[in-house]
Amino acid sequence: MTTSFSPFFSASLVTFGIALSPIVLAVDTLNVYTYDSFSSDWGPGPKIKANFEQDCDCVVNFVALDSSVGILSRVQLEGQASQADILLGLDLNLMEAAKKTGLLVNHSVDTSAVTVPGGWSDKTFLPFDQGHFAFIYNTETLLNPPTSLKDVVDNQDLRVIYQDPRTSTPGLGLLLWMKSVYGDNAAEAWERLASHTVTVTKGWSDAYGLFLKGEADVVLSYTTSPAYHMVAEGENKYQAAPASEGHYPQVEVAAMMKNAPNAALATRFMQFILQPGFQSTIATGNWMLPVVALDQALPAAFDSALAPTKNLVLPAKDVAQYRNLWVNEWLEATTR
Amino acid sequence: MFFLRTIRGLTPALLGVGVFLLIGAASLAALLRYSDFATWYEYVQQPYLWRVVRFSLWQALLSSGMSLLIAIPVASCLMHRRFVGRSLLLQLFSVSMVVPTIVAILGLVVVYGRRGWLNQLFGVEVPLYGLSGILLAHVFFNMPLAVRLLLQGYDLIPAGQWRQASQLGFSRWAAFRWIEWHYIKKTLPGAFVLIFMLCFSSFAVVLSLGGGPKSSTLEVAIYQALRFEFDLNKASFLALLQVLICSAFALLVYRMAPINRQDASLVTDSHYLVRDSNWAKGGDAVALLCAFILVIPPFLAIFDPIFSPVFLETVRSLVLWNAVFVSLKIALPAAFISVLLGVCFAVLARFCMDRAYLSKLPTKIEHLGNMILMVPGLVIATGLFLLLRDLGWGLPSSYWIVVWVNAVMALPFVLRALMPVMYQQEKRFRHLYVSLGVRSWARWRLEWPLIRMGVAQALGYALLLSLGDMGVIALFGSQGLVSLPLYLFQLIGAYRLEEGACVAVVLISLCLLLFYGSTRLVGGGTRVKH
Repeated sequence: MTTSFSPFFSASLVTFGIALSPIVLAVDTLNVYTYDSFSSDWGPGPKIKANFEQDCDCVVNFVALDSSVGILSRVQLEGQASQADILLGLDLNLMEAAKKTGLLVNHSVDTSAVTVPGGWSDKTFLPFDQGHFAFIYNTETLLNPPTSLKDVVDNQDLRVIYQDPRTSTPGLGLLLWMKSVYGDNAAEAWERLASHTVTVTKGWSDAYGLFLKGEADVVLSYTTSPAYHMVAEGENKYQAAPASEGHYPQVEVAAMMKNAPNAALATRFMQFILQPGFQSTIATGNWMLPVVALDQALPAAFDSALAPTKNLVLPAKDVAQYRNLWVNEWLEATTR
Repeated sequence: MFFLRTIRGLTPALLGVGVFLLIGAASLAALLRYSDFATWYEYVQQPYLWRVVRFSLWQALLSSGMSLLIAIPVASCLMHRRFVGRSLLLQLFSVSMVVPTIVAILGLVVVYGRRGWLNQLFGVEVPLYGLSGILLAHVFFNMPLAVRLLLQGYDLIPAGQWRQASQLGFSRWAAFRWIEWHYIKKTLPGAFVLIFMLCFSSFAVVLSLGGGPKSSTLEVAIYQALRFEFDLNKASFLALLQVLICSAFALLVYRMAPINRQDASLVTDSHYLVRDSNWAKGGDAVALLCAFILVIPPFLAIFDPIFSPVFLETVRSLVLWNAVFVSLKIALPAAFISVLLGVCFAVLARFCMDRAYLSKLPTKIEHLGNMILMVPGLVIATGLFLLLRDLGWGLPSSYWIVVWVNAVMALPFVLRALMPVMYQQEKRFRHLYVSLGVRSWARWRLEWPLIRMGVAQALGYALLLSLGDMGVIALFGSQGLVSLPLYLFQLIGAYRLEEGACVAVVLISLCLLLFYGSTRLVGGGTRVKH
């Protein structure tokens, strides 16, 4: 009886063992919360994963949320119980709110090599890519492109699409851009812009889609957007309009969770962010600019995005404090 | 003894409805736990909030009114005439409500936009941004839904009435005036409230085609409070406000609505002709043309990428099929649960029908199921997650939260499809079943051939809605849980609009396929009518 039973028994034990092996042999997993286009196949995510896994003996698990804001609200939702080790892809203007959750911990990365204008000194957040907001236009259909933000606001013939600052980070970026150029006169400027605005969309995707379909002359996007069309499509007709007042920057940042289930690995990943294995994937993966100087030059398409520009940036504290006030000002001005 | 036995027979139904109520109440309570009621007074005083409410009401009223106004002649025409492509048109109609908004918007732009077909062919420029754009999109989404709901109302017209109309030589107008209107009248309020709520809480369409913050809805404010500020207090205030407004509106409509008495007479598939005339032909042509112009071109625009060279490449990618798999993994259980819940509601409602003390309950039960539409899915999902988090099962449950929220969000549609047939069976055969002692499974076996059409349609709706869901999945997305709509947004987010358009084609084809499949398999082949 035992002889006939034992092979079956041992076989089932082996099968069971194989089924369980991923759990038994579990290597360390690093959970990185990021936004979807970052972790997608054509984004920088897979390359970064491969580069980091090469010498960490671990698995990088990207949790893809729908937006920069999505990352923050997800960890706020999960609270202390969150499985996240790293948050990758918060925006400059979300830093204050993210800090307030009390879920983050300081990083210990040396940021002296960071090339963000004005340098970087924040202890909680680490920049990983940068760019500037800009209005994109089609050179074939718009012969007299704007050369400043004031041009965009005042030229009543220009059909403009931008994003809602209540639902998107580029929209919030424009709100701050307007505030830093117009200051107390922002309300009147918004009113002038509203009279030739085609529409205000929920997010970047809707706006850019409408623009590519020819619904507007200019759309709010990034100085690096034309590089995508040039590198990936060989298309030169989309260009970023310069702004003589200066551009408002978008700096995307990463942070480490206080309760990171895998703190050692998370610390290592934070170090990795400023290294070539990470930074070299940014330009043609995320269509943004790296935050440290790289040995390899970026594709020529990025040249115009790299051109020096006056950097308009409002203090993060002010942004956090006055954001609601400014959003209401925008609402009042554009619905008058 | 008899009474006890019937009550016992109702246990599963009571359990289903109970679970639905319990989870709903618990998730709302979880959200309210984080609220600070003292600050609510402050919110009420914001003038912008009331402007938003006013605009939401106004555009929803117009959108639902227009959808129904166009739907009535279209439904009448589809009822009376058989033509090539009729069933395809009806399938297309059911898919239009789940087209991801961004895809539909881009489709509308291709047709009506500045460089759209309409402008290129006829030089007509439609003012696409503003109230007219919102209306156009809402009618595109909801008119087809209204047509299908009305056709269901038509289904309840006893064959005898048609036969008589045919024998007496009724004209189309007379048939409409003396027969159809009486049934439409009863279907209209429900359809109106359903579409009104969908439009009231419409969000992406309103933002994209609205032209600016002037046209904004309450849903935007909820989205902002929840996603941008994570202000649970404000979010629950706004969600409750939305529930309040919608229920007040629904109450108003139902109060004025004629009571939906079910007829017991037989329905057959035979098709009686009423007297045709040039007037009738002309009217039908105009109605159909309206429907065609509104619905078909944007669909063609959506399907256009089939001819692009990127299409094959996109379809061949493994990621796409993975996303298809994830979508099915969510949609199938969600649809199953939704129909199960719907059956529980229907069984309970029809038990209460025509019984002493209980006779007012059926409509109340129906409205209970519809209530869910008033609360944004995002709010329910957040509440549910908070609840589970506090119980200590936060993360692993997110897949089931997505499934559950999708299931309950589809419930109003399921009920619309299910209730009429279930009521009808009860009306016709209750006494027979009671006197013969046919209960539970035995009764189900007898009824199945008669209600399977309704069940199939309910399943189809639930499948489609869960397949197209974007809001809830976005909250809980992760590497392993990228559904087709989420994949589409990833592509668009990475500038790959063209591939995104191809994925949209796949999504819509999948919707068509599943809807067709469920009406064939569950609904039973040849009996498919619409």
